[in-house]
Amino acid sequence: MGEGLHQVSPAFEAGALALVDSLYRAALRLTRVPTDAEDLVQETYLKAFRAAGRFEPGTNLRAWLFTILHNTARNRARDRGRDTVDVDSEVVERAADTRAFGAGRSGTPETPETLLLRDTMAPELQAAVDALPDAFRQAVWLRDVEEFSYAEIAAMLAIPVGTVMSRISRGRRALYERLRSAQSVTGRPAPAGVIDD
Amino acid sequence: MTDCQHFDPLVTPFIDGALSDGERQAVERHLDLCPPCRARVAVEQAVRDLLQAHKLALNAPQAPMALRAACAGLNSRATVDVARRPTFAAGPVRAAAWATRLAPLALAASLVLVVGGAFLYQATDRSSHVMAAELAADHLKCLAMNVVLGAHQSPEAVEGAMASGFGWRMRLPENPSRAGLELVGSRPCLYAEGKIAHIMYRHEGRPVSLFMLPETVRTRELVKVLGHEAAIWCVGRRTFVLVSREPKGEVERMASFVQAALR
Repeated sequence: MGEGLHQVSPAFEAGALALVDSLYRAALRLTRVPTDAEDLVQETYLKAFRAAGRFEPGTNLRAWLFTILHNTARNRARDRGRDTVDVDSEVVERAADTRAFGAGRSGTPETPETLLLRDTMAPELQAAVDALPDAFRQAVWLRDVEEFSYAEIAAMLAIPVGTVMSRISRGRRALYERLRSAQSVTGRPAPAGVIDD
Repeated sequence: MTDCQHFDPLVTPFIDGALSDGERQAVERHLDLCPPCRARVAVEQAVRDLLQAHKLALNAPQAPMALRAACAGLNSRATVDVARRPTFAAGPVRAAAWATRLAPLALAASLVLVVGGAFLYQATDRSSHVMAAELAADHLKCLAMNVVLGAHQSPEAVEGAMASGFGWRMRLPENPSRAGLELVGSRPCLYAEGKIAHIMYRHEGRPVSLFMLPETVRTRELVKVLGHEAAIWCVGRRTFVLVSREPKGEVERMASFVQAALR
């Protein structure tokens, strides 16, 4: 089958289109702007349909589409001269290491952690997730909400598996600190300065 | 402390169940003896549990209808354009622009009636073409989900779902095989602030969808959109739309059969 002639099977098309909500949410998290998210999703589908012949049936179509989406978002950011993920992540990871871990140590919770977070509501959680630095937000979300494997996330974000694990770990701890201080201090989500100031 | 440093990178995969049995047991033994590491595990575990508990709410945002329809139209665009490689700089089709293109002429001919509190479409003045495009997208989506779930329902189950979900006491066509149809099942499809019924069939193995939109009135029409044919008709205050990729004559024949046989 040549470059100019390809057929997309109805099953592939239907399977891909069934994931539009999931991809749109991922695009929203990446761009934070609904119109940009819509453009990103459409470009993802266009590329996916063109590359459909390279998809191996039986493998994870959702992970494949997410990888295209993240690659496309990265290329777009690069085209605009901003390499958001790689530039800020290292600084942020070091910052998180000292602040979040340090705080976790000194303030070893008196109550079990689950009890502490028990009353957290979805909007509060969403706000805390949104306030995380990009690198952590993507990793935690892809693992805990989308439930991709470490290897799948590594392919999407183009980083080693070890880095995926450390971003998930640091992201979760940063999220915990954020929610904890929101509850104990103001009762509202903390300002975006807990770890990245 | 050396121990803790050794175990630090294992905490996250431990929580995610990604360790081998041997590694997991080693971590468990260490945790038994080390309260600080136990606290660290508890913190990560609590956040993971919290995110999973709120997964549904966090996943609430849905793709706009126009985006769905635009994406469903991209396959033919990709196939047609692939040799020419259109410039990506121009960007993909904007959903809104696409919807505008799709909403020609038929506005005057289509009549939308919203009765009482029941409400279906956010934009009630959309043309039948746009409605058909949205339903074609849902046709693909629901059938894909059905493939995943492997559901296969009896006529009684579908009739029960229609009665409880929509207060619609109906009888499905008897012997749908007369029209080459085989019942697959039904789903309630969420739309904006309401829902519509989606009954799925197969016609010689290929998917056919019958949608029922309560409290909606449309003129009778046969619309071609996104590579699908959509036959639209109305009984009382219910609008029915049969969507399929089958040829026009076949779709007309199936629609006539369902219209006559549905009670």
